[in-house]
Amino acid sequence: MKAFILAGGFATRLWPLSERRAKPLLPLAGKPLLTYVVESIPKDIPVTVSTNAVFADDMKAWAKTINDRDITISIEDAGHEGEKLGALGAVSKWLTEENIDDDLLLLAGDNYVGCSMEKFFEARGTNPLIAAHDIGDRELAKQFGTVIVENLSSSLGGGAGGGGGGKVTSFEEKPLHPKSTFVSTGWWWLPKGSLSVLKEHASKHPDNVGGVFEEFLKRGMTVDAFVFKETWHDIGSFESYLHLHREIVDGKTLADNTSSMSPNCILEGSISIGPNVKIEKSTLRDCILFGNSTITDCVLERCIIDEDCRLEGVDLTDQMLRAGTILKRP
Amino acid sequence: MRRTLLLTAWLLTDIVLFVGAYVCAYFLRVGFILSSDFPLDRYVQAVLVISPIWVAVMIGLGIFRLTRVQSDKRNILHILFACVMGLSLFTLGYYFLFGQFFSRLLLVYAGALSFVLTTIWHLAFDQWQRRILRKDPPAYPVLIVGANREAERFIRLLNDRLSPLRPVGVLDSLGSQQKEISGVPVLGKLNVLESVIKTKRPTHLIQCSNLEHTINLVSAARQHNMTYMMLPSVLGIAQKQSMDSIEGQAMITVG
Repeated sequence: MKAFILAGGFATRLWPLSERRAKPLLPLAGKPLLTYVVESIPKDIPVTVSTNAVFADDMKAWAKTINDRDITISIEDAGHEGEKLGALGAVSKWLTEENIDDDLLLLAGDNYVGCSMEKFFEARGTNPLIAAHDIGDRELAKQFGTVIVENLSSSLGGGAGGGGGGKVTSFEEKPLHPKSTFVSTGWWWLPKGSLSVLKEHASKHPDNVGGVFEEFLKRGMTVDAFVFKETWHDIGSFESYLHLHREIVDGKTLADNTSSMSPNCILEGSISIGPNVKIEKSTLRDCILFGNSTITDCVLERCIIDEDCRLEGVDLTDQMLRAGTILKRP
Repeated sequence: MRRTLLLTAWLLTDIVLFVGAYVCAYFLRVGFILSSDFPLDRYVQAVLVISPIWVAVMIGLGIFRLTRVQSDKRNILHILFACVMGLSLFTLGYYFLFGQFFSRLLLVYAGALSFVLTTIWHLAFDQWQRRILRKDPPAYPVLIVGANREAERFIRLLNDRLSPLRPVGVLDSLGSQQKEISGVPVLGKLNVLESVIKTKRPTHLIQCSNLEHTINLVSAARQHNMTYMMLPSVLGIAQKQSMDSIEGQAMITVG
């Protein structure tokens, strides 16, 4: 089996954090989100990460930090969003160029899945498999690919909280009126026999990964579902990133040992502090500070502060600050 | 370069105009003769001494800002104030230089002529310089953020009035489907901000929407030495507003 991680997007909704780095390389409690994705994959499976030309060097540098894994970086020659092949197009190109004739584990580099990959693999049969999660809200479901799962049994996966396996009878990508609150998450498994359909579909619809499952169903193929109840996050926005951060950090303060805080600081909620951050006389609640910044006499609540910022005497709530921002009360 | 040349030409012509207005006033009052009682050379000498100070007052009032609308009421009042200042300085200067006072009517003529001629010249120069500054590449390229109706109205205003500030591109965080707004290309979402700044080299960044990105747009403007401006509508202010201060703290006053 081969694993292919989709990490070629430009993450426009996460501007300005995505100005300097790919979304999967956003730090999450001390390590990039992509590292969590790779760590979830069994070690004997070779991993390829797809990226774009803009973030290629960053991705190569990141791969070097993962010592115990066989990671290849596949670079899509796209300098901006308009030049992108599309996620499915990138998979198809890689399958063709590398002449892959093996089962494929396809993963979204910007998704965090709380359940174990072993459980997902237990649900494998001979049909394409989707990891699905019940988000319990039809409004929210509009943003994702929704699935209708029938014959749901609790014999497969699902962890302590329940869940199980079943058959997908319908797949709709970002529907206006979702028929279900089960959404397709960033884990898909495709047996090698289905890859020809993927390549064919990608030639017409290169941007839509979920669309290939609609195509399977249209052709009368069976698609299996693995339903899990553990946490799942698609890091597509400021809110979802902070939400996941709160969940992972769980009310603690995680600070790099090169950073310093004066004793008169108040740190509440979930806080991550990257390297070389100096905080003095400030109050922070649920914040992420990437690194190399100075925070003096500030009150920051639900803020994400990119690198090289200098804040002095300001109160900020619900803000993402771009790298190099200087805010100083006159 | 274009801006420097325009400004230099403007300053020099204003000095010539100021001196010319005072010389006209001399001949209007004295008659078209060279009086020995009130010699022209001493009179012109005093005007020449005062004219740079008069220009400095005008600079201090921001009258020579190339992006300023010269027909604006406040600007004309500033010209009036500068001319009154010029007249006072000339009176004092002449007295200090030569220990004499002279005709009050001449002062009325000089003051009136300097104001009228300066105003007319500034209005004419403004029309001419707008055309020069807008020529490709524009002297003041403007990057618009936001692709809403406010942005469209604003772009149309700048273009209709031949403003020296010429919109060269629109960015929109929501990813507008429009290809252009009033002839100005929509260049993409905010993730291309850095590359757009590098290629278009805007001198001004004007925010018309996307309030949530204000801090980061100000930060980008600061890093790239651009002037940041925001339409009041971004804050939901549709009424008449002005900038005031309370105890030195800047405030936006509405209504």
